[in-house]
Amino acid sequence: MGKYILKRLIYIVIVFLTLALLMYMLYNLIPTDPARAELEPMRKTLKPDEYQELYLKLRADLGLDDPLLVRFARWIGFMPGKNGQLNGLFQGNFGYSNFYKKDVRTVIRDPIMITAFMNIFATILALGITIPLGIKTAVKKNSLLDKSVQVFSIVGYSIPIFIVSLVFIYFFAVLIPIFPVMGTKTPGSNFSGLRYYTDMLYYLCLPLIVMTFASLGGMTRYVRAAMIDSLSMDYVRTARAKGVREKMVIYSHAWRNALLPVITVIIGWFLGIFGGSVIIENTFSINGMGKLYIDGLTNNDYELVLAMQMFYTIVSLVGILLTDLSYGLVDPRVRVNK
Amino acid sequence: MSNLDNNKKKQSFFLSRWFKRAFFGPQKELSFMEEEALQSPLRTVVDNFLSKRLSVFGLIVFVLVFLFVMLGPIFVPIDLSYQDNTQLNVAPGYNMMKVPNELKGKIKTIAPGKTFGMGLDENGKVYLWGYTRITDVIDLGRIPEEVSQAKIVDIALGYDHAVAMDEAGQFYVWGNTRLGQDRLPNDMTNALRKGEDLNIVQIEASNQFTAAVSQEGKLYLWGNANLNDIKIKKKYQENIAKVATNINTYLVLTKDGEAAYAGFQSNVYSKVPEGLDSGVIDIAATANTNAALKEDGTLVIWGNVSKGEDKVPAHNGKIISIQGGRYHYTALTDQQELLSWGSNTFKESSVPEFSNGTTIKEIYTGYYQNYAVTHKGEVITWGLKGYALGTDHLGRDILTRIISGGRVTMTVGAVAVIISVLIGVIMGGLSGYFGGWIDMVIMRIAEVVGGLPFLPFALILSAIIGTRITVEQRMYLIMVVLGILTWPGLARLVRAQILAQREMEYVTAAKALGVREGSIVFKHIIPNVISVILVSATLSFATSMLTESSLSYLGFGIPLPTPTWGNMLTGANNSVVIQQFWWRWVFPALIFSICTICINLIGDGLRDAIDPKSNER
Repeated sequence: MGKYILKRLIYIVIVFLTLALLMYMLYNLIPTDPARAELEPMRKTLKPDEYQELYLKLRADLGLDDPLLVRFARWIGFMPGKNGQLNGLFQGNFGYSNFYKKDVRTVIRDPIMITAFMNIFATILALGITIPLGIKTAVKKNSLLDKSVQVFSIVGYSIPIFIVSLVFIYFFAVLIPIFPVMGTKTPGSNFSGLRYYTDMLYYLCLPLIVMTFASLGGMTRYVRAAMIDSLSMDYVRTARAKGVREKMVIYSHAWRNALLPVITVIIGWFLGIFGGSVIIENTFSINGMGKLYIDGLTNNDYELVLAMQMFYTIVSLVGILLTDLSYGLVDPRVRVNK
Repeated sequence: MSNLDNNKKKQSFFLSRWFKRAFFGPQKELSFMEEEALQSPLRTVVDNFLSKRLSVFGLIVFVLVFLFVMLGPIFVPIDLSYQDNTQLNVAPGYNMMKVPNELKGKIKTIAPGKTFGMGLDENGKVYLWGYTRITDVIDLGRIPEEVSQAKIVDIALGYDHAVAMDEAGQFYVWGNTRLGQDRLPNDMTNALRKGEDLNIVQIEASNQFTAAVSQEGKLYLWGNANLNDIKIKKKYQENIAKVATNINTYLVLTKDGEAAYAGFQSNVYSKVPEGLDSGVIDIAATANTNAALKEDGTLVIWGNVSKGEDKVPAHNGKIISIQGGRYHYTALTDQQELLSWGSNTFKESSVPEFSNGTTIKEIYTGYYQNYAVTHKGEVITWGLKGYALGTDHLGRDILTRIISGGRVTMTVGAVAVIISVLIGVIMGGLSGYFGGWIDMVIMRIAEVVGGLPFLPFALILSAIIGTRITVEQRMYLIMVVLGILTWPGLARLVRAQILAQREMEYVTAAKALGVREGSIVFKHIIPNVISVILVSATLSFATSMLTESSLSYLGFGIPLPTPTWGNMLTGANNSVVIQQFWWRWVFPALIFSICTICINLIGDGLRDAIDPKSNER
């Protein structure tokens, strides 16, 4: 197992570097000139030839004319910069946001908390509903409940999340105004301590409900399918023949085995909603990663976008790794790497 | 009773069998087992699929929606540059020219408006009909109390305000009054305060300004002076017989029969053509043109003629009166002919047939509406009646945009799926069949592509590349991006299928016969796994449509003004739109949801039909 994990880790690092290079190349397609941008304020006070000289010097200092691979290595932190120090992604330098005039690290600190909170909360809520529901529908296969859940889940995963949001806003924020339409805090308020968090939670209620609702359809189906497979196994029949209580059969014998495929799906899906929350956050104007990302794109704040893209990439690679590992952990037959 | 029914059924069954035998020859009776054996796999799949009612229902609905959006643009072509600020956020309905029954038969005058109309009966009561909401708070339909109590003698409708005058000469203005629409000129208010009768004979209202002409020939003008040329030159004052208003200026007819531009601005309207300094009997104006009718029935039209406003159709009689709409004119001849010409977007220039006996008493034309009141008191209307699904914030018809948007969304989704399936099948086929290092390389590539966070990556691609290419190229870009980012799933599926298939006897047989390897993969194995590919393609068609619409919704997909079901919902996420202008999001959302649900139903049904084992899941 140890060897396997190591192999997977090395592989993940290679994939990460490939993707990072890809992203960096994409980023370099954007015509920007940091040297010119930095000199812009001084432009009027300098003579043209002075300006030109300074500009060329700055370009050389910043290493803008070096080959792409060198710049990439510097950006990621493998090669020392012009000042002789390693200062890249691996050293924790995510770049500088031109729009917010701050380090990317400070810019993303708060949004990352909100997004992580939302996603974890929504996952817990969704699992809390889908697992019992999936088990129930699997046990009572072809019952009225099962059939209606089946139809409902098709509807659930067919409708795009922004339409679900609009419908929920209409019903729960406009028609019956229990929740606010958008935002993360009461406008003009300046709460601190516990009050701050309850206020935020109140504002996040509707987005959380929407996220949970949107994930019900797909997850219920997975749980149900896994559970049906597991219930048709011989060990379930044996258990029943032995006279084990039905509850015991379902939750102990069948569910434990059904859990294996479900876990892997859950991990993948949990990481998927990080990307998916782009839409939710923009619909509800929540200052999370997704909104920051879209704002960065519209404001041409590409250094921020690049850093966040790397964040998303890491999240999804860790997801792949976790899925692989859980396969191996949970089902000894797999051990993918032969 | 039921016995009888049964007998009947039996009989008809027998009859139909007899019929078949008579014409198609005897049919060999098959036992159950034989029938099963003879049925081709495809036939089984079709039968299985057809036995699923929900999936068949989905298929039927999807085909209908598909035909609707694919054939629809032929009947309702979309003009991408179209927008009209008089038709913003109009609710669905066809009541814009629905004159109330109480008004019929005693009409004194009608004032046509942009999406509504106002009528005055002979008892001095004011009626309003159509879509009267101006903004989310202003509604013209709420006639003020004092207006309903007063005895009104004349009315006028502007772009967003209504004007009424009672028999004492008092003016009432309601609607949008924020830009001085109700600020009467000083000389007028002074005179009214003293109790003088101004003897107003005509009121005209237009885009945030109002004009009134008195018996003595004095013209009063008030309203938004920043936008409109509402001053009058001294030499025309006290000599005015009639006024006509276009979008920002006005035209006067003097008592000497001269059509003149009495304002101070110098613009295309102020260049009055020659020969209009006498002998003019009527004037009218559309939004961007002015018209003068001379004694001999000839018309002179000038201004920004853009929609055929100057193309007077052939007629027998002599034109005796003329009215202007937004982009069209309507005229009446002395032989009781009704003529309409100019723009015909809403059929406002298509005069309906009416029976020969009816004679027209008066015509009222404004914006896209025409009302012709006959001597019998009937009202003939033509023009814009309303919108089936309302309009959006730029005045564009939602139905047209849904139809064209569906076409774009489906095309993008379909092309993306085709790209994805092509790459997926080729990659999966190669990797599954050859295994070894090919498999290794392809699967690693698939993992890298699959490892890309999909939505953020699509967004950044669209944002970086999308800004330097044309709209059309951007559409292809979206298709390619969607296709390229979604193939790994299918490739893995195909690979797994092929891994199972390649150990089968028929492959060994093909190998033994010396068939080339490439053709074993693509001619022998792939047809055997085609059903799985088909199901996956159907399901990913829905996903592609969802993704495209998500991108467009965020503003990084198909750019406006090209409609898609996704970008029609952009900007709908605020409470005003969600509540007040519900038609802007409900209809696109509804048809899109129906469409994706149907595709998923079809996909599920197909999967069950192909693999009966999955039925149990």
